[in-house]
Amino acid sequence: MVLYLHLHQPWRLARFRYLDLGSGRPYIDEVRNLEIFRGIAQRSYRPTLTRLGHLLDEFPDFRFSLSVTGTYLEQAARAAPDVLDTLRRIVRTGRVALLSETYYHSLAFLLPPPELHDEVELHRAALQREFGVHPTVLRMTELAYSDELARFAESERFHGMLVEGWEGILRGRPPTYVYCAAPAPTVMLLARHYMLSDDVGFRFSSRQWNEYPLRAEKYVSWIAATPGDVVNLFMDFETFGEHHPASTGILDFLSALPRTVRSVPALSWATVDEAAELPPHDTLSAPTTVSWADQNRDLGAWLGNDLQRSAFEAAKKVGVLARSSGDPEILETWRRLLTSDHFYYMYVGGHGADAGVHQYFSSYGSPYDAYANYMNALMDLRRRALERISVEPGPGTMGRDRTR
Amino acid sequence: MLEKAELEALTAELEWQRPRDQAPIRPPRVVGRRLRLLMVGWEWPPSHSGGLGVHSFELCTELAKMGHTITFLTPFPGPYTPVEGVTFRCPADEPEEPYPGAYTIGGTAAGWHEGDIERYNAWIAGFPVGGHDLIHVHDWFGTVGASALARRWGLPLVMTVHSTEYDRSLGHPWSEILARERTGLQNAGRVIAVSAHLKRQLVERYGIPAEKIRVIYNAVRPSERLAALSGPRRIVLYLGRLAAMKGVDTFLRAAARVAPTEPDALFVVAGEGPEFGRLLVLAAHLGLSDRVLFLGKVTEEERATLLASASVFVLPSIVEPFGIAAAEAMAAGIPAIVSKTSGIAEITNSVFTVDFWDIDEFASRISELLAYPALRREMGAAGRRSVMREGWEERALQTVGVYFELVKDGRH
Repeated sequence: MVLYLHLHQPWRLARFRYLDLGSGRPYIDEVRNLEIFRGIAQRSYRPTLTRLGHLLDEFPDFRFSLSVTGTYLEQAARAAPDVLDTLRRIVRTGRVALLSETYYHSLAFLLPPPELHDEVELHRAALQREFGVHPTVLRMTELAYSDELARFAESERFHGMLVEGWEGILRGRPPTYVYCAAPAPTVMLLARHYMLSDDVGFRFSSRQWNEYPLRAEKYVSWIAATPGDVVNLFMDFETFGEHHPASTGILDFLSALPRTVRSVPALSWATVDEAAELPPHDTLSAPTTVSWADQNRDLGAWLGNDLQRSAFEAAKKVGVLARSSGDPEILETWRRLLTSDHFYYMYVGGHGADAGVHQYFSSYGSPYDAYANYMNALMDLRRRALERISVEPGPGTMGRDRTR
Repeated sequence: MLEKAELEALTAELEWQRPRDQAPIRPPRVVGRRLRLLMVGWEWPPSHSGGLGVHSFELCTELAKMGHTITFLTPFPGPYTPVEGVTFRCPADEPEEPYPGAYTIGGTAAGWHEGDIERYNAWIAGFPVGGHDLIHVHDWFGTVGASALARRWGLPLVMTVHSTEYDRSLGHPWSEILARERTGLQNAGRVIAVSAHLKRQLVERYGIPAEKIRVIYNAVRPSERLAALSGPRRIVLYLGRLAAMKGVDTFLRAAARVAPTEPDALFVVAGEGPEFGRLLVLAAHLGLSDRVLFLGKVTEEERATLLASASVFVLPSIVEPFGIAAAEAMAAGIPAIVSKTSGIAEITNSVFTVDFWDIDEFASRISELLAYPALRREMGAAGRRSVMREGWEERALQTVGVYFELVKDGRH
């Protein structure tokens, strides 16, 4: 059993009006972001990490994996340093593996090199600094995966990558084996078992679910009955205490897992690093990008509509200016704007269930609010970058430059 | 240039590509038995100035299609845009009209006097009811007469509230009108509010029990899109009455912020009303004389042309129980900016909502829609879909549902 939990918080934007262009106002409302962080820390991060710490103490064979984005680390340090301390403590046990990813939880994998490399490097340095750890397994934003990304992982000397255990990539193979990437045979792939993962991630507290209520015994018996080498349970960390509040019994469910697993001889825990050492069963190829989001498992959640695509195209162009501005603050701000969440907020509901999920995570009233606000910030950043490189704005395609 | 034959071939092809089910001709949905309704109204097209006239016309048209018959009482003599199944009665029709000449003033609400309301209600109260099942009164104008009539004949009374006196007077209600509103609200067995916001007001300000209030939104009718005006200028449009509650000053003040950075934006104010002169002066004062176009009252065709041509629609009302004007603009695919309390914001999020006093935010939203074509396009398309989802037929069915809460439906 591979339990992997994902920790991330974006820097949400403040309302940045069109009239604010050139005003020098910050794009990010730090106070509000930290307030949100503290709320979730109270409901989820703190109680769940504490429980996980106890479980590590009590069960010497219990182990799991975590990914922590750079923006999460920044916010944790300011909003809830004790959460960061707890994280450090449990990582020190040596039984909690950390994963590499982009520092900004960004869509850098869709940008020309070297952006992806740079952001993964930034994240590596942050993990080294905070935890003294150098991960060997890579997860891309929202579990995005493609052949191209496998080649990237190989070139960066990663031993493994996470992928969504989706039919489009497995093509009839079970998600319960380790595979190697067709274009990069040194990269082992761990495929998320989305049925078993979503039983906890999505369905746990649903009274409409015919398996409700889910208890550890029942859940572990399903896992034991699943043929294969490995069951990859990948989910959002906030599953515990935030998406399902503590009152649903989700934390007790988590606490009961190691004891229940111990009573089943055929089952044992492994980190992603350890699982990636298993012999590969077959090769997998993914000519197009798959992700773990929504029902289509593609990039539709971030780049599915014209708003999202136009915002991303604009961000791409501003990126060129941000890089050539030579101003680290501008480059950092641009990267914060690349965080995938901003594009996620611009999703225009199509499928019923997905639309609900998007609205739940959005900090805006509508995708149009999200887009307008994002574009204003981006246009302002563009103006600032242009000022630095003191190039007259040409007849650009992204809207005219404004100064007041 | 296309040759004529090419053009014809292309037209034929377009015709063929047009989805068959675009305008389905289906039998009207009928619920329960056919009712004979006595509707106590106010304006009726073509001589109408606000949303109430449109509402009455659309609602009665759909009700009549479903087989219900309507006697529509109005204080104004015709001409009335005819609808099969709807008969019009006005005091001036009466052979022994008790107050000769009282109802022939201009034929519209303009120039209406206090005493006229009294006389209109007296006429309603004495209206010879003939086999009607239910009385439905709109807003305050005829509530006193309708209540008396309902009591005298033992008929159920439904009242639709389109706006309240508190709102129209911006918090300084005229007690006379307030009393007339109360009379209707208290005597009505059911009250229909055009938004949930309005319903809350009726509960909080008028003490009407929430249980007897139903929310039924307005709708828009799918209209033909006319050819857009051509030209390099992009139109930012206000279209509606020029009344204090509409907040047109905010539109002008926001325009003043946007104008310097958007040299090709043209701000258009279409409509007439008591604020006209003041707004004209304000526009001049703001230095907008060459940037704002006051069109006055527009014809149906001019209106359609404006809706086909505008880039952004703004309805900055201080109070807006529903906002049919914004709904119509959205139906034409124009992204709209409305104030936060507008009823229309309850049925769609494909619209920008702004606090009515926040001029900077209105200005920013206008600029954003002008600056970002993808936003204009996507929001326009989504807004159109959202307001077209439920049409007048749906609203009429919901209204009939309310009628049958009070009338035995006689279903066999």
